[in-house]
Amino acid sequence: MAALVTHSPILIIAIPLLAAFLTPLIGRLSGKARNVLVLGNLAFVAFLVFALTRDISVNGIRVYTLGATSPDLTIPEGVMVPVRIILEVDGMSMFMAIIWTIVSLAATIYSLAHIAKETGQNRFYTLLLLMVAGAYGMMFTGDLFNLFVFLEIASISGAALIAFRTRFADTQEGGFKYIVISAIASLMVLFATGLLYGQYNLLNIAALAKVMEYTTLDKIALVLLLIAFTMKTGMIPLHMWFPDSYTVAPASITGMLVITSHACMYAAFRVCFSLYGGISDTYVVGWIITVFGLLTAFIGVTMAVYQTDVMRFMSYHAISQLGYMWMGVGVGLAVLGNPELLYTYGRDAMAGGIFHILNHAMYKPLLFFTGGALFHVTGTRDLTKMGGLAHKMKWTAILYIIGTLSISGIPPLNGFSSKILIYESVYHFHPILTIMGIIVSILTLASFIKAFHSAFMGAELPMYKQIREVPVPMLIGMGILAFGIVFITLFPGQVSRWIIYPAADALIDQLSYIHAVMGVVP
Amino acid sequence: MTFIRESGYAFWNPLIWFIAFIGVMAVVHFIRMRGQEKYKKGSAQAQIFVCGEEVPEPDKRHIRVTNIYWGFFETLKEYYNSILRPHTGIINDYIIWFVAVMALTAVILLIVGLTK
Repeated sequence: MAALVTHSPILIIAIPLLAAFLTPLIGRLSGKARNVLVLGNLAFVAFLVFALTRDISVNGIRVYTLGATSPDLTIPEGVMVPVRIILEVDGMSMFMAIIWTIVSLAATIYSLAHIAKETGQNRFYTLLLLMVAGAYGMMFTGDLFNLFVFLEIASISGAALIAFRTRFADTQEGGFKYIVISAIASLMVLFATGLLYGQYNLLNIAALAKVMEYTTLDKIALVLLLIAFTMKTGMIPLHMWFPDSYTVAPASITGMLVITSHACMYAAFRVCFSLYGGISDTYVVGWIITVFGLLTAFIGVTMAVYQTDVMRFMSYHAISQLGYMWMGVGVGLAVLGNPELLYTYGRDAMAGGIFHILNHAMYKPLLFFTGGALFHVTGTRDLTKMGGLAHKMKWTAILYIIGTLSISGIPPLNGFSSKILIYESVYHFHPILTIMGIIVSILTLASFIKAFHSAFMGAELPMYKQIREVPVPMLIGMGILAFGIVFITLFPGQVSRWIIYPAADALIDQLSYIHAVMGVVP
Repeated sequence: MTFIRESGYAFWNPLIWFIAFIGVMAVVHFIRMRGQEKYKKGSAQAQIFVCGEEVPEPDKRHIRVTNIYWGFFETLKEYYNSILRPHTGIINDYIIWFVAVMALTAVILLIVGLTK
């Protein structure tokens, strides 16, 4: 067991990667065996993630050096800098890994029924496991080049999964847009990595952070990294590809893509806090992120309320909610250089933003899954063609209501817990942030009521008299996320103490991040 | 075990909300129990009444998504016209936005650097 925990950082990435290549082979023998392999694999990885989380909560940051005689030997003898591939796992990495574990498991169970009638399921599950491995890699890697590699793995598999249902023309367009945007973002990350490597001969984030001089080239590298990752998360005005791609993917994949967006957001946080946290311009960068976050929240929701395609509607809401996270963490970054303000409200703002990532990771995939359930049953995403579906889809309607109340921040649902934390703390930075946040919340509720009425309410329509509730695996997938919502709703204090504040502190404490790889920083 | 979520400026306890919710539900149930006792489910009492007019078929009387918040969109027509314009669906346009935002951010950081 101890050896399993010791090697868990690499096993969490390697096991789904290996299973991805086994999946088509097993799938040729039996579809059921393949499904057992995929689910068993993800369940085992979930066990490793929770074991590693417990270990990190007790022992602090874990580093894992590949190819070294000992995993914690980051700098070989006779060398001054880390040269091997190093995984560095702290509170923020584990926070993201927990989210990814829950959502990928729920999405896979949902997929068992959602894509049951599609051809090419071996390829589907292979790509799904590749995306799982890629996103874990992004969360655990300690160096910039491997961040690029894992970003590529997650992006390429994501694009192929978006375009998976080849019988629809719009899936091909969505997949194409996703791969173009991802390729450009990855290229910018590679370019920025090259700029930093050219100056410092280093790729490791901790090592780079220790010697960072913040030259003009460093500033350009920061801009390349930041804007590339923010585009991948769908920050306005770089969001336009987001609904085009997310709308057309199978709903289970859309739910997972939301978390890959969070992984890119995590990468941006890692760049801003762990790599560039020691520079003097965090105030300006924090303001830039906060302003774009505000625009993202407001424009996202006003675009969402206008939509008539249920998945497009959900996509714009995903963009809008990401704005809250950017606002919270942006405020924390802006006051990072001022310890008094940081511990008066900055840390709480960051915790609010990070808490909202967790809540969003529960309710947004759930809402995408309910949108997928509507499509599964009616064969259309067009809300103008729906109505009265609650008569036959009672469970889906209840799950939709749970998601709606949560995303709208209605007490006592979990969305309220994170939003109130953001509202209270960012108010001290600038009151307009709180005011706009509340307006966005009101518009969110209004738009979800509109969609709920259109799809579920009203008399039973003649064309939908023969439909039935979605299959059980889809309900289980949605149920897992609804359970997550209820759990966080009941225990917001515990969840904050266990994973939210440790994640925020991991970002704030740059010295510990550097120390874990480089030894004691003078 | 505590449910209290302390944010530093207030506290949050979902348990109080659940108790309040159950209380409100009890009041609603009490009021409902005092309703019309002679109501018969499935009888003419339960039919839709529109001033004696013929009631349209379900698919004709369902208020569709495009009719909801019509006034909101009409009032904000200018805003929506301007905000929908950049959503061309063409990926080349999206990349122009990417380049523009990257350039703007770079200029801001470089100018801030020069002022120090």
